[in-house]
Amino acid sequence: MDQDFTDSTIAAIARWHGIAVPNPLALVALADLEASLAEYAAIREGLLFEDEPSSFEAALAATKEPG
Amino acid sequence: MPLTEYPNLTSAADAFAAGEVSAIALTEACLARIAAHNPAVNAVIRLDADLARERAARLDAARSRGEAMGPLAGVPMMHKDMYYREGHVSTCGSKIRSHFVAPVTATVLSRLDAAGAIDCGTLNMAEFAQNATGHNAHFGDCRNPWNTDHCTGGSSSGSGAAVAAGFAYAALGSDTGGSIRLPATMCGVTGLKPTQTRVPRTGVMPLSFSCDNVGPLVRSARDAARFLKVVAGRDALDPTSAREPVPDYEAALTGDLRGSRIAVIETYFLDGADATVVAAFDAALEVLAARGASITRIALPMMRAVNACTALLSRVESAAIHANWMRDRPQDYATHLSARIYIGYGVPVASYVGALSLRGPLLREFVAEALSAYDLVATPTLRIRVPTRAETDADADSANWGRMMAASANTRPFNYLGLPTVSIPCGFDDRGLPVGLQLAGRPFAEARVLAAADAFQRDTDWHLRSPTLA
Repeated sequence: MDQDFTDSTIAAIARWHGIAVPNPLALVALADLEASLAEYAAIREGLLFEDEPSSFEAALAATKEPG
Repeated sequence: MPLTEYPNLTSAADAFAAGEVSAIALTEACLARIAAHNPAVNAVIRLDADLARERAARLDAARSRGEAMGPLAGVPMMHKDMYYREGHVSTCGSKIRSHFVAPVTATVLSRLDAAGAIDCGTLNMAEFAQNATGHNAHFGDCRNPWNTDHCTGGSSSGSGAAVAAGFAYAALGSDTGGSIRLPATMCGVTGLKPTQTRVPRTGVMPLSFSCDNVGPLVRSARDAARFLKVVAGRDALDPTSAREPVPDYEAALTGDLRGSRIAVIETYFLDGADATVVAAFDAALEVLAARGASITRIALPMMRAVNACTALLSRVESAAIHANWMRDRPQDYATHLSARIYIGYGVPVASYVGALSLRGPLLREFVAEALSAYDLVATPTLRIRVPTRAETDADADSANWGRMMAASANTRPFNYLGLPTVSIPCGFDDRGLPVGLQLAGRPFAEARVLAAADAFQRDTDWHLRSPTLA
């Protein structure tokens, strides 16, 4: 795990949410977060947003089974 | 009365409607099983035995007067302890809400009451519905009736265990990342996560407003069909609930799968799967094929994008809900839960909004690639054998964190996509624990999903098997 990521994330959470690291297991969990954010960064440029108006509920209705 | 006499919800409801059995007899049989076996299983948080007996007696009296009975009349049920009933404590499996008195009654409970169901009490669950294994530091782990050393699955741990053990014929669970389907597969029962917005969430503890779903754990696909007909449909109190008409799901259960096209997504869902699980899954596909379905194996590279976005949504939404408690009393959460909630505060807001905004486009893409040429997709519900409670106990050993979090790998993508998904028993692993088959369809295609599950259950008896309790 990148120590810069850990330190900066802990600082940001404390600054913006007023929440401290609750226990050592949270540091293990932060590694998961780092991986998740890296994965999102890897795929985001290949994704296309819909033109507005757009919503998930509209997609549910549009893709439902015919009939 | 042994469970084999009326082995599932529909047989019990039909027998009551026909005057073959009383509500009192059905209720006493469930209460007797609870008394005998709950000390070992630990599925129950609050038992309302006297209320259940009073309710059963009123139903028996109403039937004797010739009054019209609802479709679930006389059937004992218990529900995950996060469905509010006005004036009753709803602990949500937590210390923090151990004295929380619900100010309203959940719409789904009101609908079950109106249908004649008998509510016998509340069930154990993962704290605030937030783990996939069923561990609970405050009420004790719920135990898998098939082997009490193993996980029940979570978060609806008590719902899975209670239905498997015959404590109740049905139980509400909730499903944000697999919390209905995982206890269903690990406890060997049937669990349905409906389409997002299909069932209203009024009076239900929130976890993630984007991904929370209400649904049943029962003993057959037909049970799920009857249950869903009762609880689905628009609720004026829940503006997120769908206006889609509610069909007669049971009428769709014809057993005929001729012409049905089922895709097996090999990308991601089978990665690292245990051989014993794959063997049961492949055998299940052969059963579906023998019923007339065509089975096609497909690759789906877009699963990477789905998973990347799935990983962000519920974390942030849960973190927002729990922020005040995380500031003021973090010590009152289990260790693994405060760790899990904590990282939600570290997700950049643009990434969260991006994942939320991409949900519609990715659903459209998934349907185009996997559910246009095919009617259903099939995967194992859990790609590994049912783990033990010890090997997934992250509170005891942080080295178990990864195993605890991995349990929902095959279920959570369908929450992000919002698709109706059922888990049904399809065999047992090499340690004697159940294996589950997961089937998903297009939005609002619950009838088709349940029809395939029912067809499978006409040719198999996995769903009829019950654990031997000491």
